Parts: sequence; C-alpha cells; structure tokens
Amino acid sequence: MQESENVLRILKETKEAIKEEDNIKLKNLSNQTVHTASVSQDPENIAIAVIVYSLSKILERPKYREYSSSEKLFNEFGICIDNLIIDIKEKNSKRFTKELTHFRAKINKLSGKLKIYVQEVFRKASINKASRIYEHGISMERTAKLLGITMFELANYAGQTGISDVPESNTADVKSRIKLAMEMFR
Amino acid sequence: MKKGDGSLIKKAEEFAEEKHMGQKRKKTLFFLKEDKMKSIIFDSSSLISFSMNGLYEELKKLKKIFNGKFLITKEVKVEIIDRPLSIKAFELEALKLKELLDEKVLEMPSALGVNENEITEETKKMINLANNTFFEGGKQIHLIDAGEASCLVLSRILDTKKIDNVICIDERTTRMLVEKPENLEKFLSKKLHSKINFRKENARYFRGFKIIRSAELVYVAYKKNLVELKNGKNVLDALLWAVKFKGCAISTEEINEIERI
Repeated sequence: MQESENVLRILKETKEAIKEEDNIKLKNLSNQTVHTASVSQDPENIAIAVIVYSLSKILERPKYREYSSSEKLFNEFGICIDNLIIDIKEKNSKRFTKELTHFRAKINKLSGKLKIYVQEVFRKASINKASRIYEHGISMERTAKLLGITMFELANYAGQTGISDVPESNTADVKSRIKLAMEMFR
Repeated sequence: MKKGDGSLIKKAEEFAEEKHMGQKRKKTLFFLKEDKMKSIIFDSSSLISFSMNGLYEELKKLKKIFNGKFLITKEVKVEIIDRPLSIKAFELEALKLKELLDEKVLEMPSALGVNENEITEETKKMINLANNTFFEGGKQIHLIDAGEASCLVLSRILDTKKIDNVICIDERTTRMLVEKPENLEKFLSKKLHSKINFRKENARYFRGFKIIRSAELVYVAYKKNLVELKNGKNVLDALLWAVKFKGCAISTEEINEIERI
C-alpha cells in the first residue's frame, strides 16, 4: 500500500469521527484520500476512500438507527478500522488487504433492509469517488475500472457536476470542431 | 506495415509532422473529392451519451447520410456491450447498442480490413506511452485505458490506409492529451496541488488526431433535420444539454457558442 502514513492518519481520525458521529469530518477525510488515490491508483487507498465516504453518508441519515442491527454493524466497522490501523503499524500489507475484504464481507452478511441500504450507500459512494477521481484528470474508462463501476454510472453522475466547466477543458475552437463534424457529413 | 514492430509509432510521428506542416488538410480534401472511404471512430463515452439519452434513431439517421463507416474497437465493445450486458441496470442500453452493431450502424474495424490483433498490440504501446507522459513526485500517472487508447490506434491505422477519420470522444482526459497536453499538465498540477512533470517528447505521438464529441454530432443531426422534434431553437439546446448531462465534456460557454452559430 502506498502513502501508508497518510492512510494511518486518516484511519485514526475516522475512528474518532465515528465515535463523535461527525459525518462532515468523515466526508472531509474521504476527500483527502482522493489526491493520493488519483496518483497512486492503489486499490487499498481507493477502498479506504469509499469506506470513509460511505460511513459519512450512513451517519448523515438518522434512518440507519432505525435498523436493529445497525449498532452492532458500527461496532464491527470500528473493530475493522482498529485492525487496519494495527496492520499499517505492523507493515502487514497482506493482512491489511484481507481486512478490507472482511469489511465488505460483513456488509454482505447483513440481512433484510439494512443490507440493501448499506450496499446501496457503498455503491453510490463508489460512483461519487469515481467522479472525484475523474475530476482530477484520470480518464473515464480508467476511473470506472478502478472503482469497479460501469462507465454508464460514471458518465451519468459526472455529467451532472461542473467537471467540464473548467477553462483547461477547452482545447479547441468551438467553430472549428463544428466545421470538422459538418465536413465529415458532406 | 508489419504487426507489432513499432512502425505504427513511426508512422504516427511522420503523420504528425506532415499535419504540422499543413499538408494533411490538402490530402484530406483530395480524398474527399475522390469519394474515398471515411470513418467516425466512437469511444465508449460518446456512445454512452447517445445511448443514455435514447438517441438511437438519430444515430441511425446520421449513419444513413454518412458516406462511410461508424467504427468501434473490440475494447470499446467490451465497455458498452459485453460488460453492461451482465448488469441489470444497463442491460437494456447494452442490448440496444448491440442491435446497432447487428444492424451494421456500428461496425468493427475488420469492416475496413483492419486486423483487430494489430489494434490490440498497438494499444498496449499507446497505453504505455500515454501513461508515461505525466509524473507526480516521480510516479507515473496512469491516465487512460484500453478503450480510449484503441481509438487513437485505430485512427492512426486508418491514416496509414489513407482513410479520412475523426474520433468521437466525450470524456475529457483523452481529448486534452491529444489536443492540448499542456492544459492537462496545468490541470493535473492544479487538482493534485503538486508539480507535474510533463515528458514533452511524448506529446508528438498524440498530435494530429481529429476529435469531435457527441455534442457536435447532435448539432449535425439537428442541422440536417434528422431530429423529429419541431420546436425550433429549443431542440438544439435540449440535445446539447442532454449529452452534457450524460457525460459529454462540453462547457456551458461552448453550448452557448454552438447555439449562436
């Protein structure tokens, strides 16, 4: 895993933010991982970005508390984060990767509406993080692959943001490009 | 040209140089006069814009009036048909796009005698080049992938066959790499809050491609009365915003400018 010091800090702060139920802090922490994830494109970094963002979204909506097993789930997430912190400190990257897999497995083991709810939050978090990485200049196809989503999902989400409204995106004169298209159909 | 011997890259350099000197345009016009074959190469992102807006009929009509081929590579087919076919949320889009392929609205490069293995081989080289062009803190930035790179490779192969072609690509990064890599350098630096090292000598491999987007194609469809909606100026506005909302990298300013043309 790359940038392990940074990930360690993010995980420690994530643990604190969960305790304080501070979803804004979690969202900020997740955003901090995007720069690193864009360059390193390291699967572990990307997984952390998605997990932290998902936790922020779950905490943001009080709805999750309505589910009886939600408290147990958050305790388990807490244990997972503790284990991830230990793995980084001990530089055990294999165990770190395994722990991330466990994290996902715990969600899949949930039952009923909570499972559907949490899975949906994680799926949307993946699309959101993909959009942020695409915004950072990585291509649409590459980003979709990194996050395990389809280009359809990314295009649909990214299209509703202001990603293409940046001056650097204008790479050719509008009239010339229209002329080129019209000439092809002559 | 022998397969996989790097000659495509050499040809690309020669082509880029030629274009740089302004000779390419003369050649293009000559071939158009001779009614030679021409082609539009579609990247996944542009077909996704058409597909998610249900603009299949418009695409079919555009093909009808186009004296050439609409091509997709094997790598693009994976992204727009093969993979989404197994995902319930996008199965319908995949089936509709597959139908366009079955009806030969879209065709594979073999329709123009291009060997698909050659594209795959050259795509690996193109990916390698593109992803070794920008660096942050000594680390290469992996910018593009097989579908996007394969469109660039196919365009080069068609150039060597003297087939006039443009690439229709909606996503931003590949377009920036090809048309203004210095903008991409600036942009990456701004977004990553870091100094980006740009291997400028690689830029020559990306010169000379002609790029359009789904936005320009819906403009053509509108101008040629291929859109069966009768509401004057609103139709063009609706079409341009529709493709923008489905991922076409076009700015609000550009939309306004197109509407003024």
